[in-house]
Amino acid sequence: MAIFVAKRLAMMMLTMVAASFLVFAVCEFTPGSVARKSLGPFATQEQVDFLTKKLKADDPLLVRYGRWAGVLLGIIPDPLQDPSTGLNFKDPRGAQYFGNFGYSTLNKLPVNDVIWSRLGNTAILAGLAFLLIVPLSIVFGILSGLKEGGVLDRLLSVICITFTSIPEFASGVFLVTLFVILWPVLPGTSPLDSEGGWSVPSQLVLPVAVLVIYDFGYVARMIRVSMIGVMEKPYIRTAVLKGMSTRQVVIGHALRNAMIAPFTVLLLQINFLISGVVVTELVFAYPGFGRLLLDASLFGDIATIEAATLITVAIAVTTQFVGDLGYMLLDPRIRLR
Amino acid sequence: MDKTSHPYIPTLLDQLNEGEISRRDFLRKSTLLGLSAGAAYAMAGIIDPATQARAGDLPKGGNLRIGMRCMEIKDPHLADFAEKSNVIRQVCEYLTFTDRNNITHPYLLEKWDVSDDLKTWTLHIRKDVKWRDGRALNADDVIWNLKRVSDPKVGSSVFGLFTGYLVEEYDTGEKDDKGNPKKSSRLWSDKAIEKVDDSTVRLNLFSPQIAVAEHLFHYPMFILDPKDNGAFGPSANGTGPFEMVEYTVGKGAKYKARTDYWGGAAHLDTFEFVDLGDNPGAGIAAMASKQVDGLSEADAVQINSMKAFPHVAVHKVETTQTIVMRMHPDVEQFKDKRVRQAMRHALDRDKIIQTVLLGAGTPAEDHHVAPSHPEYAALPKWPRDVEKAKKLMADAGHADGFELDLVTRPDPIWELNTTQAMAEQLKDIGIKANIKSLPSAQYWEVWTSAPFSLTAWGHRPLAIMTLGLAYRSNAAWNESHFSNAEFDKLLTQAEGILDPKERSKVMEKIELIMQDEGPIVQPFWRIFSTVMDKKVQGFELHPSQYIFAKDYAVASA
Repeated sequence: MAIFVAKRLAMMMLTMVAASFLVFAVCEFTPGSVARKSLGPFATQEQVDFLTKKLKADDPLLVRYGRWAGVLLGIIPDPLQDPSTGLNFKDPRGAQYFGNFGYSTLNKLPVNDVIWSRLGNTAILAGLAFLLIVPLSIVFGILSGLKEGGVLDRLLSVICITFTSIPEFASGVFLVTLFVILWPVLPGTSPLDSEGGWSVPSQLVLPVAVLVIYDFGYVARMIRVSMIGVMEKPYIRTAVLKGMSTRQVVIGHALRNAMIAPFTVLLLQINFLISGVVVTELVFAYPGFGRLLLDASLFGDIATIEAATLITVAIAVTTQFVGDLGYMLLDPRIRLR
Repeated sequence: MDKTSHPYIPTLLDQLNEGEISRRDFLRKSTLLGLSAGAAYAMAGIIDPATQARAGDLPKGGNLRIGMRCMEIKDPHLADFAEKSNVIRQVCEYLTFTDRNNITHPYLLEKWDVSDDLKTWTLHIRKDVKWRDGRALNADDVIWNLKRVSDPKVGSSVFGLFTGYLVEEYDTGEKDDKGNPKKSSRLWSDKAIEKVDDSTVRLNLFSPQIAVAEHLFHYPMFILDPKDNGAFGPSANGTGPFEMVEYTVGKGAKYKARTDYWGGAAHLDTFEFVDLGDNPGAGIAAMASKQVDGLSEADAVQINSMKAFPHVAVHKVETTQTIVMRMHPDVEQFKDKRVRQAMRHALDRDKIIQTVLLGAGTPAEDHHVAPSHPEYAALPKWPRDVEKAKKLMADAGHADGFELDLVTRPDPIWELNTTQAMAEQLKDIGIKANIKSLPSAQYWEVWTSAPFSLTAWGHRPLAIMTLGLAYRSNAAWNESHFSNAEFDKLLTQAEGILDPKERSKVMEKIELIMQDEGPIVQPFWRIFSTVMDKKVQGFELHPSQYIFAKDYAVASA
């Protein structure tokens, strides 16, 4: 087990190094200098050149990558916080510490000041959605997988496929029209403060609903396929023939076996929910991680993009690890090495 | 009228009485020459909107929430969007203020005096202005701010405006990589910004400039406390009516009214900006569920969908905001001026205004001088004439037309929509424009170097301001690479003429040059619009999208 964990951690480090370098390299090829974007179109070239120098943005790619990694690991202090640059950049945690994601050129704040509260907001949204997606998709999946081609299967399949094929921006606008304009029972945006006259929980209803509608049908279809496969297995036929009730067969024999493949799919939804909610966040003006990442990417704010990349890699590796542990519990034949 | 008034003011007053100039021209000219706006409005016999708003019995107290993007606001002198400056505008103030009629008033100034040659501007600072920390505003504070924006290392866009009269280009003596002499810019003299006494500052220009008062209202030209060293945030000092109590990038800003504000306390107790992101639908939804009381801007499409809301009022103002399709005259396809003329004849402006702006615009005449500009000279209008345009194309040797990349950007969406509408109409005369839509950030990298592109220009109270920035040979923002000695000469002449009648005669020649061989096709002037809840009072939409929360009030329900 220890070896397994060590292996996984090593893999995570390797992925992080590769991903962070790739992001640096890709940003290199997007046109538009950060200095120009900071100063706006009406600054003179001379002013842009001065800022480029201050931000040390004209150093070669490898030098900048090395400096970024050094600052992150706490080996060197962040050079942008040096008062002599005149940038007025100050991190209350100091210039040199482990986990220093550097200074966001978009927000002119330490990345650590911005990113965690945004990630927290998105985690609330994603967590609530996940709590609804899991039971809904399992119930829908099992019910329609019990008897392939039956009336119930057909009905549930139509619901699942319809919902999954409506893009988030469309269902978002549809729900807003319905519950905000025609029948005003819910707020139309989610700034997450209650001063607009709506409580914070009420602001979560529509964004969570959009995510659930978009995602649960897809997972339910996965569970359905797996369920159908299991229901055709000889041991199920044996169980039925020896006179067990359908309820006993499903709960005692089919369910656990049918969950192995969908379990992976379910865990993948966590990754999707953390980094893929950008559309929902835009529709409801939700101050989350996805919107931050979108703004940072459009601006070329490399410190924020890198931090977001590392965080998503860490989440992906963690869910994968949890997945492996889950397999072990679901199927005793699987042993981790 | 006191004795120190500019000698030209009596002449202006005569012209007003003779009906030779309009009231608006009189107001503009006389305030420009240092007459107080109140006195000017009184002489012209109309009510000063500044006192009108104050005089009304507006309700006291309450909170107002306005939806607007909240981006970083680290350094007010670097603010490069109206939105960013709106966040700071409630806390820090300007020396002057240009109202929605394009008339400039003193703000932190009591008044200003201009010499006859327009080269010496004396700024008299109000003596009753107090910073939030209790200190009185003085000449040193103002000088510190003016000098700071004149330093290229700071990076303020005011620097570009000051270039040519306060800031000069000089040879550093060094050579760049290619061996060309390196140029830099600086204040032209130690005496350029001069302290006269504790409440008087003199600007000594090296060339005449008529728009100094307007430039002092350029959106980053805030007067900051030198102690804050250019940094801004919730604790920042300011002379303004509000104190910022909370700011979260991408989420919002919260303010509390000062009770000791020099201009009389604001009507509101508290004020807020709420960040609704870039999705136009979010603005509509937030208005629908009354989570905000108004938006900083609402386009025609948004307004259309909010028309049915009973609690929403629409506000509109005519602006000199526009978009120009501009061509580099040194590019093969555009070398012949007849091609540029043909493109101007190919447009059906009313149709573009209807399809793109849903009617919220007025047709432009390809010379970047708006009817609401004081120096506007009316010229005959050009209807769409495809036959004439085709003939011009043929005469220029492009009978079969040509194909070229047209650079634009996708947001705000009306810019891209305008591009598409214009490209579609140009097809009729054989010009196939392949639209290349670049994200804004990338677009601003190439905006002056792309041979064929569309650029939006913000509202400016004087036409000569834009013409000088955009079309004078080698000007910093000359994106079209237009260079015409006659145009430059006339423009310099116009910038020195005070008489509106005389000036518009020169402007007529300038406008004709622009129509004849200028580098632009200009479809319209925008009518700027937004929405506010009907309970919001005292709100007047400013053509530059500026929010002054001190003037607004909310009626209790």
